[in-house]
Amino acid sequence: MSNLLLKVENLSIAFGGLKAVDDLSFEMNHGEVYGIIGPNGAGKTTAFNCITQFYKPDAGKIIFDSKEDGMINLVGHKPHQVIGRGLVRTFQNVELIASLSVIDNLLVGAHIAFKSTLPEQVFRLPRARREEKQLRARAMEVLEMLGLTHIAHMPATMQPYGHQKKLELGRTLMMSPKLIILDEPAAGLNEVETVGLIEIVQRVTKELNCGILLIEHDMNFVSKLCNRICAISFGKRLAIGTPDEIKAHPDVQEAYLGKSDKESGGGEANG
Amino acid sequence: MNKVFGKIGKTQPYFGFLVFGAILSFAPVLMNNTQWFLFAWLTIFAGFIVYAIAGLGMNILMGYGGLASLGTAGFMGLGAYLTMVLTVDAGFSFFPVLFLTILATTILGIVVGLVSLRVEGFFLAIATLVIAEMLRQVFQQMPLLGGHAGRSMPAFPTISLFGILEWTLNRNQTYIMLVIFLVIAMFITQLLFKSATGRALSAMRGSESAAAAMGISIFRGRLLAFALASGFAGAAGSLFMFFMPFTNPNHWNLVLSLFIFAVVVIGGVRSVAGTVLGAFIVFAVPQLFIARLPVIGDISGMDFVFTGVLIIIVVLFYPAGLIWMPAGIKNSITKLIKRKKGGETT
Ligand SMILES: Nc1ncnc2c1ncn2[C@@H]1O[C@H](COP(=O)(O)OP(=O)(O)OP(=O)(O)O)[C@@H](O)[C@H]1O
Ligand SMILES: [Mg+2]
Repeated sequence: MSNLLLKVENLSIAFGGLKAVDDLSFEMNHGEVYGIIGPNGAGKTTAFNCITQFYKPDAGKIIFDSKEDGMINLVGHKPHQVIGRGLVRTFQNVELIASLSVIDNLLVGAHIAFKSTLPEQVFRLPRARREEKQLRARAMEVLEMLGLTHIAHMPATMQPYGHQKKLELGRTLMMSPKLIILDEPAAGLNEVETVGLIEIVQRVTKELNCGILLIEHDMNFVSKLCNRICAISFGKRLAIGTPDEIKAHPDVQEAYLGKSDKESGGGEANG
Repeated sequence: MNKVFGKIGKTQPYFGFLVFGAILSFAPVLMNNTQWFLFAWLTIFAGFIVYAIAGLGMNILMGYGGLASLGTAGFMGLGAYLTMVLTVDAGFSFFPVLFLTILATTILGIVVGLVSLRVEGFFLAIATLVIAEMLRQVFQQMPLLGGHAGRSMPAFPTISLFGILEWTLNRNQTYIMLVIFLVIAMFITQLLFKSATGRALSAMRGSESAAAAMGISIFRGRLLAFALASGFAGAAGSLFMFFMPFTNPNHWNLVLSLFIFAVVVIGGVRSVAGTVLGAFIVFAVPQLFIARLPVIGDISGMDFVFTGVLIIIVVLFYPAGLIWMPAGIKNSITKLIKRKKGGETT
């Protein structure tokens, strides 16, 4: 019980008549890698948006073991307040900042660690300089972990896609979060890059004791990483279990392979 | 002059800014001792400096914050009129007037920032335009401000040390004061761009949701961008008034706001040197050079045509602004060489 990191309770949200997430519940522990799978349009991203407070859920609770205040309900937080609680996310499409270098992009991930005021920053007063130095060192550590120190000062969005995906993950590490939420981290990566990403995710969970909640279509990727998986379809939970249990589950098989032709393609293949 | 500046700016921007300020300060020396620099040019240069300061504010708002404003002229006008009233009617000296003017325009900027939280993009631009036009109506209707005809004040600022020592600057000294404030504005802008707050603004411009996920408050960011842009515009209007020293409501219209927009687009988005270059091209080049050409120089409205054509050229070939042109040319040359050597295609 004390090991609980995140508990999603009866989460629901509807857009007009469409119930994008419908009474969804699941929970995960500290340091666990937890997967969410489901066909296109199942409501995975919407569920993430509700957890991170980008959408205001119609009903339900998001109980989270926050950094400073212990168990809290995240519902009611503003989107920019969530990271301070120890929860940080990436987006389905890469969202690096075009005009900034790789290291500056990582520093944006540490934005809330900057306590100095604007005048202190503009006039380079001691506190601002100290913060900048410390966080730059931290960013270099993260780059080291990703094996990307050689591109630290290059423009971020000119990097190969695989690097950009890694950088987005790296940016979430800047604040030493307790939970990282990744929306399709392996989408668009080739096999070698995917293997590299799996290694990094495993290192992150081990070294930082950080939980990871991820959406992924690539069943192989999910099976390698996740202890447990929650499968959803049409916003509803189909099943929770180990990767093998999920693969064998009849409802999951039907959701992926059974009904429409569109879904049968999207569920198996990755790109 | 701007070329040298741009080059130095690459490696050591701050040193480059100082060198640039020093070069600009030579104008009065040239004017007094040689035939090359005409008396009237100093006014043109003062104008260019003032608009460069407003342009820097615009670049913070647009280049970094990703927000649009068509109200810059209104804020500059407010700065100019406040400066006149505070100087003539309230009897304050240069520094208190400048301080109060910047304070007032910054506060109004925060109000516009609050508006910006409700409206987006195109509508935001219109909202800022409406605010600027409302200000212009105030300039026209208030008898104290001189109505349509406008009003002037005694030329050049008086610096006062606790009311004991008073010293009124002459035209050349006032010009130098303008240069000093331009360099200060360049420093502040560059330092801001390189700070955590500058990065936060960049993030906001890229994607507001991604910025929010990193803990950046869109509310704070927008207010800040508008506060800074308006403060810069207010300072620019104030300095304009101290130098010129006459103002009327028609000067602060939409055309001026568009020209300041053009400064950023032509010169260089997210570049301090680019903004200054843009201000020089938009506000000084037409008067210094084009007006002196035979035939073309006599056509009225030539400066509009010049700016318009330039914008089209820049947007087509250097969408990030002319300041990036050397880098662009270098890029194409290296690409050309690569292609000839390896025949690689990507
Ligand atoms: N802001 C919104 N307004 C209206 N409908 C929305 C909104 N966001 C999502 N939806 C709808 O909710 C449903 C679930 O979408 P969601 O993006 O969560 O799916 P997903 O499981 O992430 O799919 P994918 O695998 O394609 O990313 C879809 O039918 C989508 O059209
Ligand atoms: Mg999705």
